[in-house]
Amino acid sequence: MVFYICPKCQKKWQHPVGVCPFCFSDLERIKTSQAKVVASSKVLIPNLLHPKIPYYALVVEDEKGMKYAYKSIKERKIGEEIIFETAESDNAVAIWKAGYDLLDAVENIVALLSNLKLTEKSKVMILPTLISPVHNYFRDNTSTEFLSAVLEYLKIKKVKNIQVASQSLDDASILSLAQKSGLSAVLAKNKIDLLDLAKTDFEEKGKVKISKEVIDADLVINLSALKSGKGVSTDNLFRSIEKENYSALKYLYGEDFIAKEIGKLNNVLTIGEAIHPQRSDKFSVFRSLVFASKNSANLDAVFNVTGMVSSLPKYLKEVDVSKIEIVGRSILEVERNINVVL
Amino acid sequence: MYIKGVGMTKFDYSTRHWWDFAYEAAIEALRDANMSIKDIDAIVFTSISSAAGGEHQTHKVSFLSDLFKTNVPIIELASVCGGGGAAFWTALKMKGFNNILVLAAEKFADNKSEIVVDWILSAAEKVCEQTEGMLFPTQNALIWQMYMKKYGATMDDLSLIAFKNHQHAALNPKAYFYQKPIDLEKIKNSPEVSSPLRLMDCSLSVNGGAAVIISSEKTDIEVVGSGFATDYILTFGRDDITHFKATRLAAAQAFSQAGITPADIDVAEIHDAFTSVELISYEDLGFAEEGKGAELIRSGKLNLGGSMPVNVSGGLKAKGHPISATGLAQIYEIVHQLRGDCNERQVANAKIGLTHNIGGAGGSITVHILKKV
Repeated sequence: MVFYICPKCQKKWQHPVGVCPFCFSDLERIKTSQAKVVASSKVLIPNLLHPKIPYYALVVEDEKGMKYAYKSIKERKIGEEIIFETAESDNAVAIWKAGYDLLDAVENIVALLSNLKLTEKSKVMILPTLISPVHNYFRDNTSTEFLSAVLEYLKIKKVKNIQVASQSLDDASILSLAQKSGLSAVLAKNKIDLLDLAKTDFEEKGKVKISKEVIDADLVINLSALKSGKGVSTDNLFRSIEKENYSALKYLYGEDFIAKEIGKLNNVLTIGEAIHPQRSDKFSVFRSLVFASKNSANLDAVFNVTGMVSSLPKYLKEVDVSKIEIVGRSILEVERNINVVL
Repeated sequence: MYIKGVGMTKFDYSTRHWWDFAYEAAIEALRDANMSIKDIDAIVFTSISSAAGGEHQTHKVSFLSDLFKTNVPIIELASVCGGGGAAFWTALKMKGFNNILVLAAEKFADNKSEIVVDWILSAAEKVCEQTEGMLFPTQNALIWQMYMKKYGATMDDLSLIAFKNHQHAALNPKAYFYQKPIDLEKIKNSPEVSSPLRLMDCSLSVNGGAAVIISSEKTDIEVVGSGFATDYILTFGRDDITHFKATRLAAAQAFSQAGITPADIDVAEIHDAFTSVELISYEDLGFAEEGKGAELIRSGKLNLGGSMPVNVSGGLKAKGHPISATGLAQIYEIVHQLRGDCNERQVANAKIGLTHNIGGAGGSITVHILKKV
């Protein structure tokens, strides 16, 4: 949990207002880790946002006495602490309900996949979703807020070698995509240049030619702007493939083949942004969720299950979600029909 | 300021347009005031359903201009369930107008219950509460759970409140449960909806409208106290989660202006969106000491015939609760009680009445005190 406190007035906020309206001091960010149940109600009223009943609406309290609302699919006792287990398997998917503080969401989602090691010497490459020259609010691309949160996270981890890269698989200039989407401004603020993977060297891995910059990174953070009915996370990884090679493979073997091949990269962590993911009709819906996994196909499959979406690409339909280890929030806690309400 | 006329529709599941409820209530109020629309200098209107829900209608100020063929200033404000009280408070504060029509209309029961529940859920905080399943009954269930743990009240106490209000509503022709009393056992045995609150602890979301005309011209009913306070939208981020601070603040303002104490109130309409809210409000309004609300309902004093009947109209519980219209319907009841024309549900010698209207889970609250002059 995160809250904000005025160092002078000691007033507290759960909203990131930034400045105290009484004394105009900058608010301090306080992060807490405990969540003890102080009240619980079994809810038997289905509604559009929470269709599956019963569920348990809890009031939880942290170690600083701040109280929060929390939905649980499991019955919890008063006094019980809510503890999140970390993933055991590399193919696990972590689900987190993001509040206002996206940095907190990134910190929590990554912590759930515990065997991630980042040091000052780590070489990290970020692949944001950058597919169309549209404003942030269309939700086609990685949002400026999310990219900012991930960069902030890496800064806290003292990572110095950070690249942000993309490649256009059509004729669009990635610089113009980044400009219109607002990502350029985020990169400029963080003094990072956008790397065009088309200008890098490529190395063959089986039939697929992948950018050496991607292969050589200690960690590739695949920032997927999730969209219902699609395998956006895996699609985004296609951009690390040499463009002509990608076109040829797509023609000869189809994207399902490419998805399986790119899935063999073992240095990729996909963080899926689903704060306002798009539906198949391109309207965005408010979900306030973040997903993470080392297996991009698993992530996309789980994401679509939480939106009760069944129309999927073939390789995603073949994923058996019931066999995937889920950590963080459960599917039932966040599941709803995304076609019903925005 | 004085009250010149009041009007309200029957509260039920009629599927008329929202504006039809507004119009009917306004016409009754105008006739009650012996006025026509040309005597009205301004209108204050409140409603959430027409924008939030199926009516898909914003810019209602212009709509009302058309309905009433008027060009006077019309203000629209919204404060969910507290809209009526907030509109009334706002009208009282407006200077330079002789006669103001305060109007509310709600067409909420207009689709499957999942949608209605969703519309009401939108009054909770979007990111921190809506996404965590904090439905309106659920928030109140959690508040009540913590209250019970702290003070020892029971679900039987809430049953008494529901029973009282249903007994009263059975006598009110405008109430949904008019001539339909419900027995205590049925209330006690009603199924849980969000533990520990049961179906019969929850008010009924119905459709309807209400209107009040206030005037600078002296009439037999004077508004002697008016209070309005707000509290944080994050219900569980407040300091005290077992009471409603905004009620205490609004009540203090109203009693101070009126120069009276809670002991002087003869009849009250208290916001019973849930029976638990009514009980807690006895304490917040000063009718009972902290933690003693249960003793008060058990005493029988709040039933018709008692020393301070509460929710003689049937309350939100049994009259029905068309969200924004409720606050004005409370004024309607108190005005008629003070005039002495409530027939079977008349409170004897009612001279001073109180209305208490809550928006959301205690986020915006008004208290008004009316006196027969």
